Amino acid sequence: MPRYGMVIDLKRCYGCYACVTACKAANHTPPGVFWSRVLKGESGKFPNTVRQALPILCMHCEDPGCVKVCPTGATYADDDGVVVVDIDVCMGCKYCMMGCPYGARYTVEELKSYFPAGLPLSDYEKHSHAHFTEHSGIGVATKCSFCALRRKEGKEPKCVETCSAKARTFGDLDDPTSEITILVRQNRGFVLKPEQGTNPKVFYLPPR
Amino acid sequence: MTSKLYGLEQHDWRWLIAIYLFLAGVAGGAYIGGVAADMMGWGTIAKMGVTMSWPLVGIGCAMLLLDLGQVKNAWRSAMKPGTSWMARGVIIISVFMIVAFIHTVLLWTGMGAGAGMTVLSVIGVAFAFSTMVYTGLLLGDSLPIPFWDTVLLPILFFVSALSTGLMALILVGTLHGGHDEAMAALARADIILIIVEILILAAYMHGSVRRPITQPAAQTALTGDLAPMFWGGVAFCGLAAPLCLEAAEIHGAGAVVAAALGLVGGLLLRYVVLAAGVFYGYTAAGFTFNPVNNPKMEMPDIGMVPPGNT
Repeated sequence: MPRYGMVIDLKRCYGCYACVTACKAANHTPPGVFWSRVLKGESGKFPNTVRQALPILCMHCEDPGCVKVCPTGATYADDDGVVVVDIDVCMGCKYCMMGCPYGARYTVEELKSYFPAGLPLSDYEKHSHAHFTEHSGIGVATKCSFCALRRKEGKEPKCVETCSAKARTFGDLDDPTSEITILVRQNRGFVLKPEQGTNPKVFYLPPR
Repeated sequence: MTSKLYGLEQHDWRWLIAIYLFLAGVAGGAYIGGVAADMMGWGTIAKMGVTMSWPLVGIGCAMLLLDLGQVKNAWRSAMKPGTSWMARGVIIISVFMIVAFIHTVLLWTGMGAGAGMTVLSVIGVAFAFSTMVYTGLLLGDSLPIPFWDTVLLPILFFVSALSTGLMALILVGTLHGGHDEAMAALARADIILIIVEILILAAYMHGSVRRPITQPAAQTALTGDLAPMFWGGVAFCGLAAPLCLEAAEIHGAGAVVAAALGLVGGLLLRYVVLAAGVFYGYTAAGFTFNPVNNPKMEMPDIGMVPPGNT
């Protein structure tokens, strides 16, 4: 069984937000829901400052804080290491949103339109709402699943496919010959918020 | 919006959860107050305390159900008591409600007496205590909100719960029967509790201000958006005013006002602690990233009306 993970090369990322948009298009997430997002940070003191983009998504931790606090068992790590939510079990208590150090979880109480109030839903929006309701669920915790539907078709997660700078690499962390393991091993890969002890499976390569 | 410079407040647990945390605390405090009154031989207060406890938890549970996204799955809420404080809490409050209900029936019918009643009271007090303390542990289990992750929070919630529970007894008791020996004793006990609560709250806020990781949360509460609620609601209404009124041994209407203010303060304390829960930012390779451009916000209504749609 593979153990899926991702590497994001901060040297390559230039913060174009294409992954944010592609994720929304692929998963039909409603307004305010960002399974994939990009933070901008700064270091140094003016005028000697550097800006850096930091793409964030669910880290699919080995010891996830969300799974620990979930009272129903709705959220769990799948056989391939991907942390998923069973939308038929989740009761929407939002405790996992308090337990996730990476802010990767969202609960949607009501599907809203992207367009100003008063406009009727377009056919695309109707399709989007139906897709989100079927696959992600209303009133339950929703999150990145490394594009579970796309992986079933043998494709990579949409953010990986779309990244124009090839900053993202998706693969099997258990395979010593996979590109992702080699990248992490050879380029001083690190994880975010290691002090939380959640052992993320999304690794970052240093910006310089 | 001072806190926005560093972190982002959680927006998912607000008033409904605050009301629940408050009511569970009042219920536990009133029950323990009732059992204590029973030992002192004050039958009326004992009945009041025990009787009001389980409906208060019940109302709190209704708030929790209102907050759920999928109420149909609420029955699964105690599936994982091994790791989840919420699952443990569901078990604790369920047992507490059942024990308090049986205790109420026995008190009013006068059937319970002797050793059986004592055992029931001990079990009830144990679960009342757990109800009051677990609310702090529930928040403390949150990894990304360091403001909640301190041993002082369960203690603060416990003392506040006991104090507000006694104030609920004073409120109902004074309205019901007027001033007597028992009410004065409850007020004296409450004075001690309020002083202890002030000390714990001061230690909690002091410690939070000093730790860099919890500083944004403490600043939100002390000088930021929540400052009016904290200083006016929690510190003045909830602690200083009832302390002064009770220390001045004002009875009757004054005692009612003191208790009511204290109860409001107890609710606002829960809300301030919840609303000041700030997720902390990221540091990576020498860069500091704020979770500020995390756009968990409502769509602005720009008031655009499509042509021909008016």
